[in-house]
Amino acid sequence: MLTEQAPKISVRPEFRSSPSPETKEKVFEMKGIDVLYSGVAAVKDISMDVGRNDVTALIGPSGCGKSTLLRCLNRMNDLIPTAEVRGELLYRGEDLYGPGVDPVQVRKLIGMVFQKPNPFPKSIYDNVAFGPRILGRKQGLDETVEKALRGAALWDEVKDRLEDNAFGLSGGQQQRLCIARCIAVEPDVILMDEPCSALDPISTGKIEDLMIELKDEFSIVIVTHNMQQAARVSDRTAFLMVELDAEDHNRWGRLVEYDATEKIFTNPADKRTEDYVSGKVG
Amino acid sequence: MPEGVRVFYQEELERLEASALGGLDMVSTALVRTMEAVESQDVELAQVVVADDDRIDGRYLEVHQSLITLLATQSPVATDLRLISALLHVLKSIERMGDQCVNVCKVIPLTGNHAPADPEMVDLILRMGNHTKALIAQAKRAFEQRDVEMARDLVRRDDAVDELNRECFRLALEIGEDADRREWAMTMLLGARAIERIGDNAVDIGEQVAFVVTGLFREFEDASHPS
Repeated sequence: MLTEQAPKISVRPEFRSSPSPETKEKVFEMKGIDVLYSGVAAVKDISMDVGRNDVTALIGPSGCGKSTLLRCLNRMNDLIPTAEVRGELLYRGEDLYGPGVDPVQVRKLIGMVFQKPNPFPKSIYDNVAFGPRILGRKQGLDETVEKALRGAALWDEVKDRLEDNAFGLSGGQQQRLCIARCIAVEPDVILMDEPCSALDPISTGKIEDLMIELKDEFSIVIVTHNMQQAARVSDRTAFLMVELDAEDHNRWGRLVEYDATEKIFTNPADKRTEDYVSGKVG
Repeated sequence: MPEGVRVFYQEELERLEASALGGLDMVSTALVRTMEAVESQDVELAQVVVADDDRIDGRYLEVHQSLITLLATQSPVATDLRLISALLHVLKSIERMGDQCVNVCKVIPLTGNHAPADPEMVDLILRMGNHTKALIAQAKRAFEQRDVEMARDLVRRDDAVDELNRECFRLALEIGEDADRREWAMTMLLGARAIERIGDNAVDIGEQVAFVVTGLFREFEDASHPS
């Protein structure tokens, strides 16, 4: 599935997510994942599953490895020469780091939206059409662009100026454009790394509404520092925390608790989660 | 003094809990005065209790508003969220308890200064009052100490109040043929019923203790399906 020759994953049937990963279909299964940079662990022993059509939030203090873990999920860490991933990471039952797996194909199926909107210095249309063109699509580009922009709740705002430069859009519009660019290649999973941290509350609200709409079609994993955002949009929340070795020389992230978001924010099982989500520790 | 971050928020939450639970002391005072008014048929003292209920209502409104402000501005979650939710319920129970004292005190003038009181029934009502005062104190202690067992024990103690209420009812049925005495007994039954409800409110507070501690809300006893 992950190789060039593999057939494209078909769009999932209608499926409303519910916070019960034990019984529902999994897109990711992580078993004892360690990520190391230059031989030093950044996260250790992460084991968790990500359910299909769920919004899964990764929360935790700075340096706990949320973004590192997120980047493992579409092999973005491959771009860092010193990075090494250990353990088993299955995507729909297949080893994401197995031999023969094409990282480019992985990133097509598992797209990413970054903290800062990063449109290309091109027109709105060309930004969205970029991915499909790279994949060799020539026919039906207009429909693809419109569908992606509609999917990102941006169509009505830009339909009359598709040839304008994307830099002329507001920050919130640029971020939705990046989401449109991501979904234009029909991925299976969307990874979001603090997608609203540079946006005002109105734009944040639009992106959050969008996430809830998009999860009907995609599975979403989001890293956020905003507790209330995790509470508002996610079905399940994973809390990671920084651990230090005895000499305080090395620090790495470890998964403390992973549960239904409602549980995490009303009655977490672990005191460390409680203190973090309550804002009592940084 | 809370340590760590969000110190103001934690201090404010502690202050509001103390202020809400302080409402139980106000109710306890109102209940003691109510019992005194019942015992001595003291219409003036009963009027003081009625007038003083404004203080309990004021406490309810003040703490309620402050809790809503904390919800709006501090986005509490987990135990803090459960605590605030529980305090909102507790405040409502306190306000109702104060109203029940008022209900008792309002019927005292109806019986007049020289009511044909039945000493046995008055004694029963005073015992109900004493039991209920102890229930209020125990509910407060259970909340302060987050003691679920102590909270559950409120049910057992409330059963004693319920039994005394039933005895009041039996006495009222057997009060005799004298119309004035029967009217007095019926009026006092209303008072007994009000005190019995205060006991129920104390048990409600106990249920909120269990919610704060466990995260699960369950009625200790289901009135529609008694065990």
